[in-house]
Amino acid sequence: MALFWHHVFATGLAKNEHILSASIQLEMFRRNGMSDMRTILLDLSRDPAMIFWLDNNENHNGEPNENYGRELLELFSLGVGNYTEIDIKNAARAFTGWTFAQSPPLYPHGYYASEFLFDADDHDNGEKEFLGHRGNLDGGDIIDIIVEQRSCARFVSRHLYNFFVADEPQVPTWNDLPPLDPALIEDMSDAFLDSDGQIKPVLRVMFNSDSFREARFKKVKSPVELVLGVLKMVSTHDYFHPGLAKYAESVMVVMGQKLLDPPTVEGWHTGKEWIDGGNLTERVNFAVGEVGDGSSPGIKQIVDRMIESDSLTSHGSFVDAALDAMGPIDVEDPTREALVQFAARSEGDDDRSRAVRMIRLIVATPEYQYA
Amino acid sequence: MGRPYGLLRAGFPFLKTLGMRRLTNFPVDIALGAEGRMYILCRQEGAALVRKYSFDDEDGGNFGSVGEDDGQFQWPVSIIADSEENIYVSDEALHRISSFNSEGEFLASFGEFDSGPGQLNRPAGMAFDADENIYIADSMNHRIQKFTKDEKFILGWGGSGDGDGQLDMPWGITVDELGDVYVADWRNDRVQKFNAHGEFIMKFGSSGSANGEFNRPTDVAVDLDGDIYVCDRGNNRVQLFNAHGRYVEKFIGDATLSRVAREYMMTNASPNRIRDMSVLEPQKLLRQPKSIAVDAEGHLFITDTGSYRVQVYQKEAIHLEPHQFAPPMRSVTLHQE
Repeated sequence: MALFWHHVFATGLAKNEHILSASIQLEMFRRNGMSDMRTILLDLSRDPAMIFWLDNNENHNGEPNENYGRELLELFSLGVGNYTEIDIKNAARAFTGWTFAQSPPLYPHGYYASEFLFDADDHDNGEKEFLGHRGNLDGGDIIDIIVEQRSCARFVSRHLYNFFVADEPQVPTWNDLPPLDPALIEDMSDAFLDSDGQIKPVLRVMFNSDSFREARFKKVKSPVELVLGVLKMVSTHDYFHPGLAKYAESVMVVMGQKLLDPPTVEGWHTGKEWIDGGNLTERVNFAVGEVGDGSSPGIKQIVDRMIESDSLTSHGSFVDAALDAMGPIDVEDPTREALVQFAARSEGDDDRSRAVRMIRLIVATPEYQYA
Repeated sequence: MGRPYGLLRAGFPFLKTLGMRRLTNFPVDIALGAEGRMYILCRQEGAALVRKYSFDDEDGGNFGSVGEDDGQFQWPVSIIADSEENIYVSDEALHRISSFNSEGEFLASFGEFDSGPGQLNRPAGMAFDADENIYIADSMNHRIQKFTKDEKFILGWGGSGDGDGQLDMPWGITVDELGDVYVADWRNDRVQKFNAHGEFIMKFGSSGSANGEFNRPTDVAVDLDGDIYVCDRGNNRVQLFNAHGRYVEKFIGDATLSRVAREYMMTNASPNRIRDMSVLEPQKLLRQPKSIAVDAEGHLFITDTGSYRVQVYQKEAIHLEPHQFAPPMRSVTLHQE
């Protein structure tokens, strides 16, 4: 769930340049990611990394900065079309004075954590109107009102669906394009509103849905999902040893995803936008390269299973044994036929070498790009 | 000179800070030489070196780099110096020990990956005994191994577990002046003491954050009074125990700006302003300290890994004769004379 919320509440290291705050934000997502939307948004609004990322430290009484107020409504909770410009201005006023205490500088002794600070002297105590509510509203009141909105329930549900079930269009289009499964989104939204914004009941509805059960080739793997899936399969990093960092620092980056540093506050565009001619090559080459070492523990185990299963009796069973041992992985019929043809062509070759080449072919298939 | 009959613990004040970011990046261990020389092992992802340093906070250059060739490191863990000030560095990724002379010229390396006698799987802490045999915490083999300085295997003991004499990923190790061996039994959250033959003598500590408890102890040191210091990394502190393993006090950090840090700050206006806006209390505290060293002058050196520096304390203790120190009492008392 930390990765999910990192997608939604995209916060960039390129601006913040404070790795400790980024780490603390991720810890926050691990801690509260399965709680309720009010807690999540309240913690987020008090998080120094987010405050600095969206300039709320510059949101002063009498001199509001609307950046956080705007993105809170547009990208973090309601979505375009579910609020007015007046709501944005008043949300910004409600969050004046929500800042953080200055932490010591990087030099000479490294990063120190910043902590949330409510500066009462810098808070706008005037009357504000927000989504039909009027009063001396502060940030907590704004969040309370947001979490009561059906638009918030739909927004969160659609994000969850996009992350776990199938690729939705990009977030900015959600006001114009309906969800892929409108009925499920409404059921999830009911669960959200009935539980006062709890995340677990929403997930329960989603994971028990037909859409989730039938999801197949509906979601392009993000670079993180692709890389971690391959690394788990080859099992070369079950224990820490040098080289693991490169996957996050360079391999995923060339595929278009630099963790902790999304391109904009909108986060990463997902689905088919993960793939273009250049990074498809990177994705395939990476997977083929990693699984090509027949001595890696995971591949050795898969090959052992293939050979022990008597799969060599026919070309089709050889392919099926490989797909089963690697996942299982589903492939379309034309793909399976191509794999069977390879099995036929390689008959007579060394069994282990042949099995490794089959695994390399499978991770190069279009289906392997999907979750 | 043997151990004192008793100790009057007068104090253990903070003495000074050494190093700063960029100079002593992520110090993970320290070896002490003669005349105030020291060798600080620095390790982070993509960088590893030995910083030659002085007690006066002076940089003497560095040696070593990241790689797998002779004289290079991948994941160095521990550094020790022999009587000639040759330097030995363990490397848990390359499963080997490399040696250098005091100028940093590579001398030799030994170590073979596996679990047989004399083989290593992620060597961590190291210590010399009085004869300059090397004890190595062979962490992923969950054992201690003893070698001569010319790499000949002498003996080993341990094995995975939490029983007396068993170990779970041991990290730091030290040998006292009597030849007894102390091990920071990392994943068992305790310290174990053995004789030179590997026979179990005693243990202390358990999991937690109260006095005398540990959260993944990474190093242990013993001074000439028999006092035992334990680097309690997960609790961001160093704890002091007497020779019997009874908790005495703890060090949580009292750092001031080192000499080199003050020089840096004098020419950097922005950090000075930001520092003036911030609360400075956290800057004093230890952050993920990884190792400790003590010398004959009563100095306690703590590698304050997360803050790129070494914190130094000065022990003040007076040795007591029997007429100055009452015999052991079986019971505690409220009667104060």
